[in-house]
Amino acid sequence: MKQIVDRLRQEAARLLAAGDVAMVIGYAKGTDVARTTPYFATNEEEAQNLTWNPFCTNNLVKYLLDFRFEDTKLAVVVKGCDSKGINRLIYDRQFPRERVVVLGVPCGGLLDRSKVLATIDPGAELQSVEDLGQEFVVRTDHGEFTFAKEQYLLPKCAVCRNPNPVISDVLLGEELPVAEEEKSDTFDDIVEMEALDPAAKSAFWDRHFNRCLRCYACRNVCPACNCRECAFEQAVPGWQQEACWLSKKASVDNNYTFHLIRMFDVTGRCIDCGECERVCPVNIPLRKLYRKVIKDVQELFGDTTPGLNIGDGLPLTSYRKEDPEEFM
Amino acid sequence: MTVKLINKDRFNVFLERLASGNELVAPIEEDGNIFYRRVTSVNEITLEADAFCFAPKGHFFPQYEVLYKYQQGSNALVLEEPGPAGPSVLLGVKPCDARALLSLDPVFDGNYKDAYYLDKRVKTTIIGLSCRKVRYNCFCRAFGFGPTSGEGADLFLTEVKDGYLAEALTSKGEALLKDYSDLFTETGVDGALQEKEQLAVQLDTQFKRKVDLDGVKARLDNMFEHPYWERLARKCLTCGICTFVCPTCHCFDIIDENGGGSNCGSRLRCWDACMFTDFTLHTSGHNPRPGKKERVRNRFMHKLKYHLDRYRVTGCVGCGRCIEKCPVNMDIIQVIAEIKEVG
Amino acid sequence: MFKRLMEYVGFEPERFEVRWISGSEGGKVVETAIEMAEKIKALGPNRKMRDAK
Repeated sequence: MKQIVDRLRQEAARLLAAGDVAMVIGYAKGTDVARTTPYFATNEEEAQNLTWNPFCTNNLVKYLLDFRFEDTKLAVVVKGCDSKGINRLIYDRQFPRERVVVLGVPCGGLLDRSKVLATIDPGAELQSVEDLGQEFVVRTDHGEFTFAKEQYLLPKCAVCRNPNPVISDVLLGEELPVAEEEKSDTFDDIVEMEALDPAAKSAFWDRHFNRCLRCYACRNVCPACNCRECAFEQAVPGWQQEACWLSKKASVDNNYTFHLIRMFDVTGRCIDCGECERVCPVNIPLRKLYRKVIKDVQELFGDTTPGLNIGDGLPLTSYRKEDPEEFM
Repeated sequence: MTVKLINKDRFNVFLERLASGNELVAPIEEDGNIFYRRVTSVNEITLEADAFCFAPKGHFFPQYEVLYKYQQGSNALVLEEPGPAGPSVLLGVKPCDARALLSLDPVFDGNYKDAYYLDKRVKTTIIGLSCRKVRYNCFCRAFGFGPTSGEGADLFLTEVKDGYLAEALTSKGEALLKDYSDLFTETGVDGALQEKEQLAVQLDTQFKRKVDLDGVKARLDNMFEHPYWERLARKCLTCGICTFVCPTCHCFDIIDENGGGSNCGSRLRCWDACMFTDFTLHTSGHNPRPGKKERVRNRFMHKLKYHLDRYRVTGCVGCGRCIEKCPVNMDIIQVIAEIKEVG
Repeated sequence: MFKRLMEYVGFEPERFEVRWISGSEGGKVVETAIEMAEKIKALGPNRKMRDAK
């Protein structure tokens, strides 16, 4: 992993020194051993703070939107899952291809922070991480720890189909092999949910949506949520809230409305980066919602997970003669 | 101040009786989250002070509450206000959350008396509980109190070998000990007090992260235009997590909702967050805090300066919740250190 | 798609129906409306997402 970090710093410094990009969006050391933080390097010196390890969970693609109305060129570090977000933004005409340099990292999976922190003292200093294929060896000033991937990966990484970036300008490491049988998703969790009767499904989502705080972290972290003005945050005075899609009152029915609208909005567009579920402060199993629409789109329109390529039409916004007509 | 002891068996009886006579609100787990919720059965209560737990501020200042309902009468609009709150007991409040209420009180009980907050505040008895463990991001010590401080609670419990030590800190706390005097005893109190002192010493060594607030406020007084905020704010996603998990954040918005029949509806207030795009948005369309920089600056200024300026108490109590839940690792401890560096 | 989503979060499948009926098929409109009304009456009132009003 050290080679990737060295390559990353070198490449970032080169891009910044040559004036090819104004900023490199990457990861830097976080405030505990199992955490990194999004970092914005603007010069060669700052490029040396960039890092890469299995705690680089954030999908950084979203930050491109902060610069969408400018004309500067940026570089961004992406994993396989995040890289689909680049295609999302390009296809949605939110960010032009020529303004971004994609620094791709072949990713052997991310470690589950909470599981790791049960083993390592959060205050330990991270020295190095080595990816041995089936396990990570994490070296800290508190000792060396081995984490078997089977046990310690984030759930989304355990079933990852895209360890290698699907789009990149500079690949910062050797491409990882992907086994043939890993290439298709069986959606076991979704099938299980579908099989429940309406009352059981209802009770499940009632419980989860009831505690939604409507902090909008799921929306704000999502690369498919790229509207300039969100339907849920319209500039309308309080007494006209009725005119909005949804009031600020975080009651269970309003929360349903919020999640269902978002779910429908990302249909055929969600790239399954899993960030929504990770950031949710009250542990709502959001991937169970969004993977449902991925499954349905695959069944009905034969499309694979969106974002694998820049694409030529989204299932719900384009017409094909062979589109299914379930309601006829 | 009365100090008594209650053994574990009797403590369960105490809880049962509290729950039957009052609205009892205590930490309850759901899908890996711990919230303060109304107790229907005492078995649900999780007094695990070492797990992440959401703040109890919602008991006094709910995420949304009806201020009044309105209905078009034959000649005029008829308003109906919600009835007064009943007596309640808030159980298992951590020292930081009890202290946070003392930061919220001057906001709702200052020049303007907020009837909704105060009604619940007056009728609630707060039973605090010493922490058993200091979490990695805890830094209450920096604010002059610690994991065994009861300030802000009416009755303060500390788990000891033989049960719970109970210290009455206010007249409400004294009344509680009197009402349940058959369950509490004075035997063994001295030993339990010693045990509490030992716990305090032991917990004090568990603080991992150094936080020194000395000079931070003075620097912030002159940092409004500092380029630091622009840099700091880049990574913020402007979601509402930090403000919603914060035990002292108290901004709210007022909205009207029609419904429930013809020509009627209700006026509500609900939590707002300085991170949201419509926060402090003027009718003209102007927003004094138009972007990330202004919003992030506002939050840290509010926690470490504005609240002190206005009320002489800090707007942060060092609970560490925002650090733990922030999706991009925005870390107030790091921000405090950086302010001292750049300011 | 939408119907599938509604069912996934716990609405009874009978509550949401889309039919394609031509302008010349007046009888079919009536039949469909009656059929749908009967199904829904059998289910009783919908309680889902109705708590605010």
